[in-house]
Amino acid sequence: MSAPHIVTIRELSKVYRQGEINVVALNNISLDIAQGEFLTLMGPSGSGKSTLLHIIAGIDRPTKGVCRVQDIDLTKLDESGLADWRNQNVGFVFQTFNLIPVLTAFENIELPLLLTRLSAKRRREQVNTALELVGLAERQKHLPRQLSGGQEQRVAIARALVTDPKLIVADEPTGNLDSNSAQEVLGILQMLSRQIGKTVIMVTHDPKAAAFGSRSIHLEKGELTN
Amino acid sequence: MALPLRYSFRNVLIRWRSTFATVLGIALVVFVFVLLQSLAAGIEKSSGNTGDPRNILIVRKGSTAESASLISRGNLREIQYFEEIARNERGEPVISADVLVLVNLPRSDGSGEANVLLRGISARGVELRPQVRLVEGRWFTPGKREIVVSSRLAKRFANFGTGQSFKTGTATLTVVGWLDGGGSAFDSECWMDADECRSIFERDLYSSFLVRPASEAAGVKLLERIEADRRFKLKAEKEVEYYRRQTMTAAPIKWLGGFLAIMMSVGAVFAAMNTMYASIGARTREIGTLRVLGFRRRSVVLALLIEGALLALIGGVAGCAVAYLWNGYTTATMGFETFSEIVFEFTVTPRLMAEGLVFAVLVGLLGSFLPSVRASRLPVIAALKSV
Amino acid sequence: MTTVGFIARNALRNKRRFILSVSSVAVSLFLLVTLQVALRELTNPINDEGSTLRIIVRNKVSLAQPLPARQLPTIERIPGVAAVTPFSYYGGLYKGDEKFTSFAQFAVDPVRSFDLLSDAKVAPEQLKAWAADRTSAIVGRKTAERYGLKIGDRMQFTGQIYPCDLEFKVAGVYEGTADDRNVFFHQKYLDESLGDPGTVGTWWVKASSVEEATLITDRINKAFANTSAEVRAETERAFQLGFVSMWANIKILIGGISMVVVFALLLVTVSTMSMAIRERFRELAVLKAIGFRRRDLFAFILAESFGLATLGALLGAGGAWLLYGSIDMQQLSNGMFLMFEVTPQMLALAFSIAAVLGLLSAAAPMLGVARTSVVQGLKTLD
Repeated sequence: MSAPHIVTIRELSKVYRQGEINVVALNNISLDIAQGEFLTLMGPSGSGKSTLLHIIAGIDRPTKGVCRVQDIDLTKLDESGLADWRNQNVGFVFQTFNLIPVLTAFENIELPLLLTRLSAKRRREQVNTALELVGLAERQKHLPRQLSGGQEQRVAIARALVTDPKLIVADEPTGNLDSNSAQEVLGILQMLSRQIGKTVIMVTHDPKAAAFGSRSIHLEKGELTN
Repeated sequence: MALPLRYSFRNVLIRWRSTFATVLGIALVVFVFVLLQSLAAGIEKSSGNTGDPRNILIVRKGSTAESASLISRGNLREIQYFEEIARNERGEPVISADVLVLVNLPRSDGSGEANVLLRGISARGVELRPQVRLVEGRWFTPGKREIVVSSRLAKRFANFGTGQSFKTGTATLTVVGWLDGGGSAFDSECWMDADECRSIFERDLYSSFLVRPASEAAGVKLLERIEADRRFKLKAEKEVEYYRRQTMTAAPIKWLGGFLAIMMSVGAVFAAMNTMYASIGARTREIGTLRVLGFRRRSVVLALLIEGALLALIGGVAGCAVAYLWNGYTTATMGFETFSEIVFEFTVTPRLMAEGLVFAVLVGLLGSFLPSVRASRLPVIAALKSV
Repeated sequence: MTTVGFIARNALRNKRRFILSVSSVAVSLFLLVTLQVALRELTNPINDEGSTLRIIVRNKVSLAQPLPARQLPTIERIPGVAAVTPFSYYGGLYKGDEKFTSFAQFAVDPVRSFDLLSDAKVAPEQLKAWAADRTSAIVGRKTAERYGLKIGDRMQFTGQIYPCDLEFKVAGVYEGTADDRNVFFHQKYLDESLGDPGTVGTWWVKASSVEEATLITDRINKAFANTSAEVRAETERAFQLGFVSMWANIKILIGGISMVVVFALLLVTVSTMSMAIRERFRELAVLKAIGFRRRDLFAFILAESFGLATLGALLGAGGAWLLYGSIDMQQLSNGMFLMFEVTPQMLALAFSIAAVLGLLSAAAPMLGVARTSVVQGLKTLD
């Protein structure tokens, strides 16, 4: 039984100018990602894996080709359309956590919900659910600087989850963590895919991290290898 | 949807060390603005507060100030029997023929001399001006070389204590009392008997007549009558109107205050801009994250503008607060209308403070505009990648 | 790449901040200089070469009190007096001016007064014409130009101080004095219009020599002591300074504001320039690692902050100097300001403030550089 494809990519290319040179970040990539997969994108630095991730997450646009997520052609959306789409459909986890320093853990997680029409009561419920999921309920009033790296990343995952998106996208999520925290975080991501049915796409260069995923693809110089 | 207010608010607080100087700078600009305008407000308040609404002041047509006006005794003889003028219980017309004389006297601190306005008034002069009260000593006796000085002037000039005397020209005047003008232009005057004044200073002519009309309607008639009679060459208007129009001294100060504020605020805007660029520059990744989460550019711009405005507002509040410390402080300067020393108070009105705050907020908004827009324009990826 | 080039490139790296920092220094110094110029203009008496010889005699009561005309012969006879003329400020409103007239009109004795206005240049036949026609006047070149007046034109004034309106015929134009705006007419004409009250405003006296001047003021004061019109004779300069002391409060105010401006300026610019340099800590650490010594880094920092401040001073103070040198302030201010020039002292003040600024804003970063080790510096990410 094959789950429906949540992401369909056909002949995707990304070229950008750096000074005087044209840099080919992605070259004619075609790829299908099934719902519920935990996909890892691997490759050396400059291989285009982050670029691919950004395009799937609606943060960047390809120069050529198609990227459809849940049957929506991202290339046809305008700036505000993409913003709204991201808010509802993607949760992003960064290597550098990217929590807002002046907001508490709770407030950080609540941020994406502020763009919806939910009442304060409903928002609180959903934030609490997310906090429970990552096991940080008792730290909700702490500011990021009062949390360890691993805890920060967990808050970031909760934030990524709070609008209940189908897609979780993570760019080297364990790059700034010690091995214990890294394990914790990867475990949560795995749980999200296996038990809750989220589609997780993770960029990593660490094979041990990649082992947590259900499938790996390799990129080199903008092209899929293997 | 907008970013929560507390985001902007907390960002202002958290960066206080680096923004401190700018906040202080804005505070200083607002302080200077409010202070100068309160100077002008004080002058205007004292002149706006002068006079009894029933009275009519008569001066020579074409004279800009009472002290420069010259009216003949012949005019007095005619006018005082006009039926439009009220009579008191004794049947005397309620009119005061005044002589204004400028006298150069030494200051009490030895810092030089200044002109003091002396007003020789007739018997009715005091009752025509109910806002002026005696606060020490007694009124002068007609026919004697006695003078009642303003209590505010008393502190500033030598020999103005009750019982003391000073020499001017050939005469020696004895101070017999202090008057309080009730926060009006009379706080800058000294009163004595008109006839004595005329004889000492060899004045044949009067400066002005102050008249109490028998009724409101009589007052209107009186104004028309004097205006119409070409022989007189006099100008009559309500006393309160005349004083309200004496804006020559306040006007340049207001102008100076406005000019300075604008110039200083240009510097303040630059400072705010610099501060915001630095503060926002350190947060590009944060801003990129907000965009990733779905917040629109304009929400980001708004939140940053609010930050800038809040910052400036703090400075504005501080500036107003310090300016308010000066409220009520008495000072003096040479008035341009009378060329004599006028005493008044710094008057920091709520309206002025509001203007100061608005001003500060505008500076903050102007200063944060470009940095905010620039921050929001960054492509999301660039924001995420920056260190 | 030279050292200077390196420093310049560093400073210009963030063009926006560079422009902002220089601009705020420039604006504040411009304002400071402008305040000083205005203050000087308003409070400094106009200096004429002849003024050291001139004496003003006024009624001891106040300037507003007139003097009896009969005092003239007494003053003439006082030893050391070279010339005397009545000098009454008429202060009328010129027809066409709305609220105030920015040039003064004085009633004088035409023949005598010309001794006193020694620097004025007038064509002799114009002088004669003036003396001959009682209702005529000579006009300063600046006023003549401003209103387009020619010989033979008529000027009408409304009396604001004296109860008489006067009309003069322009008999001549003078120039070459420090204040070429005034109008001089016949005291006799004023007397007639007032019905011969027998008074003058003040006496204008010329001493035969500078040494005599102060002696003469004493003699004049004594001559009229205990008369019905006691006088105060003082040198022209002392008289003008006395006027100025009545403005005491305004001077303090403007002085105070200047200080506030300077302080605000220091504060803001110091902090922004420090911020700029602090950001480059890592780089400075790298330079240290490469082998530059601490004092080289100090030099870089100082050079940059001094450079910024000096550039701001050039633009602000220098700009003010250029601007006020090239515009006709008299025209713009409707005659209120005469010269409006930036003196060398003001420029020096502005540049010294800029220097202090440069020093202060380099202080914190230099301290930081001194205290931080290379390793710490390299670790600084943001």
